[in-house]
Amino acid sequence: MTTTQMMKGILDGCLLAIIKDKEVYGYELAEKLEGYGFNSFSEGTIYPLLMRMQKEELVTSTLKKSTAGPKRKYYSLTRKGEQELINFMERWEYLKGNVNRVLNHEAKND
Amino acid sequence: MKSTAVNLSSKSKSFLEDLRVYLFSSGKNSDGIESIVEELEVHLMEAEKKGKSIDNIIGQSPKEYMDQISNEMTTDYRSWFKYIVIIIFGAFSFTIINDLFKGNLSYSLLELIGHVCIAAIFILGIFSAFKYVSANNISRGKEFAIYYVLGMLPLGLYIGLIFFNRIIETPVIQFGTTWTNITAIITFVFLIAISWWARSWVVIIILALLTLPDYLLSQFALHDDTQLIVGTLISFGGIAVYLFITSKMSKFD
Repeated sequence: MTTTQMMKGILDGCLLAIIKDKEVYGYELAEKLEGYGFNSFSEGTIYPLLMRMQKEELVTSTLKKSTAGPKRKYYSLTRKGEQELINFMERWEYLKGNVNRVLNHEAKND
Repeated sequence: MKSTAVNLSSKSKSFLEDLRVYLFSSGKNSDGIESIVEELEVHLMEAEKKGKSIDNIIGQSPKEYMDQISNEMTTDYRSWFKYIVIIIFGAFSFTIINDLFKGNLSYSLLELIGHVCIAAIFILGIFSAFKYVSANNISRGKEFAIYYVLGMLPLGLYIGLIFFNRIIETPVIQFGTTWTNITAIITFVFLIAISWWARSWVVIIILALLTLPDYLLSQFALHDDTQLIVGTLISFGGIAVYLFITSKMSKFD
């Protein structure tokens, strides 16, 4: 299994978390992910995810003018999105705890 | 596209154009298409400024990426329906106007059904070809061949229809003078509405060039061959001149 496959689903939560901090547009979002260490995925994958999240009303978007070129689409969390982020954090804690225990346990028995 | 697109590499530009065509042929809503294409344009511009190439951004194959985007968009059957109706009526109007010069209209059932079927096959063909060409990297020659075959397809089907119409008897629907006039009016209104909507008179001008010379020439006592040759020359010469003028004009815009 590659990192990309593992990333699916997790990326959604990361996007929500970044958007919650600050209203961002697509490119900024990709750069932030990269800044946190995610550098092996193709940046474009965030757009289908953003589209789905918008359809599910987890995020909303507004177009804003930029000096550098065409209008940028800024995303922000909806109330539903905030709730989804909380759910994601719970799921992640649960997964992280379990996976770590499994891995550490195996390491001990080796 | 807007002038900002100039800053993009040609590879990115053609990807965005392909994406637009791909989504359009997949029946997606045009506002939605515009929105995602613009968003990706911003991304590609900023990424290219930092020296990243489009391959780092869309990854995998362009087709897979286009599919991912496409899957997140709802299919807009209403606009599909709109195009289908326009193409079917458009095809009909060419036949109808040609036949109007010959007097009252009359069509066999086979002809009527055949016209709709041919238009439907043609539309499906065009949309699948657009989708295929935009999502796959194919050579110019192959692309040309696909559109050539596609262009010949309705011609072949029409010849087939004319042939079968002669050997298979189906009920003939005769349009009286009133119905012929009503059909003529509806056809003209439709053509004007389409031209107004598309802000282009190309359909009406080409239609006029294809039908009027033959009709006007038939008013003179010309030899059949002469009429055919002169008519064809005026029609295609006229279309060539028209296309030349419009291409000149669009360059000055």
